[in-house]
Amino acid sequence: MMRIATSTIYSEQTLAIENIESQYQLQGQELSTGISLNEPSDDPTIIAQDIEVRNDSAVTTQVSSNLTGLNDLLSTSDSALSSLTSILQSARNLAIEGASDAITSAQRAQIGQQVNQLLAQAIGLANTQYDGKFVFSGTAAPPGSSLVQAVGNPPTAVTAANNIVQQNEELPDGQLVPTNVTLQQAFNLDASNGSPSVFDMLIRLRDTLDNGQTTDESSSQVNVSDQAITAATTIGQLEGTAPPILSVPLASTGNGNVAFTLFSSLTPSAGTTFVFSTGTTMQNVIASINGSTNTTGIVASFNYQTQRLQLNDVANQSFYVSDAKAPSMLATSNFTSAFLLASTGDVVNNLSTQLGDIDNSLTVTLNAAGQIGATVQTVSSLSSTEATRGETDTQVQSNLEDTDIAKVTSQFSLSQTALEAAYQTTTRLEQNDLFDYLGNG
Amino acid sequence: MSSFFPQSTFFGLDLMSTSLQSFSVAENVTGDNIANVDTPGATQQQAVLTEAPPIVGSPFTATHVPGTAGEGVIVSQIQRVNVQSYDELFRGASSSQNYYSTEQQILDSVESQLGDPDDGVSTAYSNFQTAVTQLVNAPASGNTASAAAGVLTSAQALAQSLGNSSQAIQNAESQTVSQGATIVQTVNGLLDQIASLNGQIRSSTAVGDNPNTFEDERDYDIDQLSQYISTQTSIQPDGSALIMVNGQALVNDTVAYHLAAPVIGTSSNGAPSFNVYFATNPPQASNAAGIPLGSGQLAALQDLYNNKLTSYGTQLDQFASTLANEVNRVTQSGYDSNAEAGTALFQPINANLPISAGNIKCGISDAAELPVVLINTEANTSTTTGIVPMNSANNTVDTSAPLIGNGALANPVPVAGFAAGATLTINVDGVNQTFDYSSNPPASPPAAGVISADNVQDFVSTFNALGSGVTASYDSTSQQIVFARDPSNESLALRGAQQGNAQTASFTITDSLYNPATPGTSILGALGAGNINNQLQDGTNDYGEDDNGVANSLTSLFQSNVGFPALETLSGLGAVGAGSTVTVALPQGVNNIQAGQQLTLDAQVGGETSLNAQENVTVSSVSFNPATGQESITFTVQKAHAANFTITSAQTQTLVQQYGQLSTQVGLDTQTATTGTTTQTNLASTIDQERQSIAGINIDEQTQDLIKYQTAYQAAAKTISTLSQLLDTIVTGLGVGA
Repeated sequence: MMRIATSTIYSEQTLAIENIESQYQLQGQELSTGISLNEPSDDPTIIAQDIEVRNDSAVTTQVSSNLTGLNDLLSTSDSALSSLTSILQSARNLAIEGASDAITSAQRAQIGQQVNQLLAQAIGLANTQYDGKFVFSGTAAPPGSSLVQAVGNPPTAVTAANNIVQQNEELPDGQLVPTNVTLQQAFNLDASNGSPSVFDMLIRLRDTLDNGQTTDESSSQVNVSDQAITAATTIGQLEGTAPPILSVPLASTGNGNVAFTLFSSLTPSAGTTFVFSTGTTMQNVIASINGSTNTTGIVASFNYQTQRLQLNDVANQSFYVSDAKAPSMLATSNFTSAFLLASTGDVVNNLSTQLGDIDNSLTVTLNAAGQIGATVQTVSSLSSTEATRGETDTQVQSNLEDTDIAKVTSQFSLSQTALEAAYQTTTRLEQNDLFDYLGNG
Repeated sequence: MSSFFPQSTFFGLDLMSTSLQSFSVAENVTGDNIANVDTPGATQQQAVLTEAPPIVGSPFTATHVPGTAGEGVIVSQIQRVNVQSYDELFRGASSSQNYYSTEQQILDSVESQLGDPDDGVSTAYSNFQTAVTQLVNAPASGNTASAAAGVLTSAQALAQSLGNSSQAIQNAESQTVSQGATIVQTVNGLLDQIASLNGQIRSSTAVGDNPNTFEDERDYDIDQLSQYISTQTSIQPDGSALIMVNGQALVNDTVAYHLAAPVIGTSSNGAPSFNVYFATNPPQASNAAGIPLGSGQLAALQDLYNNKLTSYGTQLDQFASTLANEVNRVTQSGYDSNAEAGTALFQPINANLPISAGNIKCGISDAAELPVVLINTEANTSTTTGIVPMNSANNTVDTSAPLIGNGALANPVPVAGFAAGATLTINVDGVNQTFDYSSNPPASPPAAGVISADNVQDFVSTFNALGSGVTASYDSTSQQIVFARDPSNESLALRGAQQGNAQTASFTITDSLYNPATPGTSILGALGAGNINNQLQDGTNDYGEDDNGVANSLTSLFQSNVGFPALETLSGLGAVGAGSTVTVALPQGVNNIQAGQQLTLDAQVGGETSLNAQENVTVSSVSFNPATGQESITFTVQKAHAANFTITSAQTQTLVQQYGQLSTQVGLDTQTATTGTTTQTNLASTIDQERQSIAGINIDEQTQDLIKYQTAYQAAAKTISTLSQLLDTIVTGLGVGA
């Protein structure tokens, strides 16, 4: 049997009560907060993970918020592109209507005014803003109230304060989400293939309808892919096939010369025949035609970007183009088919050709809309992913931090009982010593 | 019947008188015990009752021999009940208990002030990261200014939180020193008392006394001493106690060897070191070894300062430094909304000192000055200064098609390809990085540091693998090659070569072959980028105000492993063979490398073949030369490295992981202290219980003794009364008879 010093009784009871009180307090804190990981020392093995999860959770919440905002922005862009698509379809219908032989010049001019309204609407759409920011400006921030401004009234051109940088938003996992489409992507502005922007296309369409502009233009680019005509390209090279430059190479007619004839309002019967030798450059071809404008009334230009030849009658009169057989040539040239020209240069042909530009604009706009749509889908998917990630973070954080209420409640109850027992025991021990009985004796 | 020896008439009275005296003494001893039942250090004393020595044989009787009859009782000794071995056990446990409880008190305080995980740096860092994430979305949401202001606010809060945490650690360090000084005073007082008691005990012992009370006091003082410092006690034959701490005398006989207040010197690795020396033997050097304190409160304070708080401070400083380095690297690579080159977001409060947790602030106060834009050549749409579409006419460039003779290019590469020796030199952060390029496809596996410009996509991939600080991409819509400043794509080699150069927001790319007359003969010309050849790309010609490149780059940074701490490339190192153990002296002032840290060897600039020798090594030890103040690190290499090989910090952890490591360390230390306190308290209590079971005073026992001695006293008195009556009978009877 162990001997117990009186002071030991008190010190042991005190220690026991302190130990139980410590547990009691800790369990009480866990129950009142519902959290078992209040400080790193509560469980150092998981604190680093907890900090990471909390960090991830906070960022995920912000990313989710970002994605919601981004979705709203994309919806705005999508809505603008949808409206632009409608405008382009209307323009197309008006172009077809204007190309009818059955309507008068005055009626065409009225249609031109409708196109002018479409142009104004297109400019308005280009200036669409979301929360004060132009959605098609790239990374540029135009200082004024407009991203795109019309020049002249009616507009003869537009100026834009955009750039062509597509904005991206980086997610924490490194994924880049595009947040916009640019004016180049949506309105075909400054297209790398030289095709006209929506604005230029509408301006030209309007002017064609208003003025009855007669034009004969290559129906599409004349070059083959990966080749291009330059100002220095010669007729001989255009006749070559190793590799071919033209999709329909100029046919050699024996001596290599090429000829064609223009029948304009100024030369309705005889026409004016142009003959080019193999050494004639494209620059010289254009200069040669334009050198006879006083005679023919026809102005020629070659767009080296779009690889198209264009012939315009300065008096807006119809004219005709035909291949010719020049003296000493063995056969008739294929100039008109090589340069994809129609036989007639008139308003109808002009409008028909412009339908291709409208369709190109429509394609560009639809592609941009498709890109926005794809991004919206991506954002939607990412939102779902982030929501899942947030839930996972919450779950993991809960597993790391939350108190097992049932377990701790049980422990708390046990500690409470133990504490009460310790108090009782201490009280009774303090009451019982031999001195208490001396008086009675 | 044999005759009995004759005894004095008053023998019985004398005998009982000694009994009364003995029981009275015993009662007094018991009373003393009862009086000291609550006196700390008091042990129970026992009156040792012994039968009195027998009277020497009487000359009047031959049959009489000593011891034949009892001669009464005497108190032969007042015995102090004590077992020295238990005292030693208890003091050891008490030292440990106080060691852990002291650590617990201070670590609890530090842990609480650091505030993790609900508050403090981790939360402030999360808020900063969240604010940057909001800034990422600013161009989309249209509230750049507000998001930028949010970043600044959160950066200020983070810097403030770092400062608060640093201050908490510094306060704790100061507390250990001041508390140590107070304890030293207490210890010295105890040593004096023990020495004095030694003298008193020795004197008493010499004259045959039992200096029980003095011994109680001395033992109690030694008990007290053991709370502060480890003690070993040896009782000498003369009764004095020799008190030592790990073999060094604290008290020898009546001489007390005082301690001096703690001083902060330097440890073997150059870190500040808390040491305690004898007052009579002050240190000769700042790194002189102090007294090995063992355990106890003073040792705990020493351990806290040297091994915990200093380490926390260093880790926190490294976190702050790394955070600032990495974030500033990005912000200084950008332009603000005024097209001004970016400044460091985090700056030192005291510009003469490096950034640390206690010396960091948000260096930008105006949201308009927060760098947000990274240079992107595509933002410059000028056809004279910017990059132009690389396609010819309305052709579309196939990025996988060879550049040689490619008619889709406005400037196709000649059939002969690029001339030998072609290089692109990219200047970023004041570093010229020159890379070879050719029209050959990439080798398998791709050679490091070489640009393969056989087609657009290979050019982009091999260019981006350079880690040059500039990233290339291809925009199919605009048919343009795009170069953008990208601080997320900077190799360790570039960072090492950067040395003290300032980070730049601009960059320059120079093509050794570029000739405006024959653009296709160079890669920049072929790609439509001839306009930017050797032209500084900066805020004056490339600028997109709504670019969110900085925020995107910061987002990337937060997820990236970073160097911890950042160690710049060393130079002038000799060649080492594979498997060698290498010791390298670090540059003067670089003393934040720790054993176990990872470093990267041979992350060089350019396309040197030694890149194949790149490897990560682990620092096995760190030494410090106090004479030169220079730190050296030792590690073992697996690969051979040529002379002038480079060393940079391995990028092994994200910022949040770095901080989590500190938090884990604080938690582990605090938990260990808490557990140790509980364990050692219980152990000390158990040992004390054992000790007290022998030496302690039990009030019930003493009460019983009191009753026992009282009864014995009463019986003795009654006996005297009876003897008195006997004498009275004789005296009175004789008197009456006469």
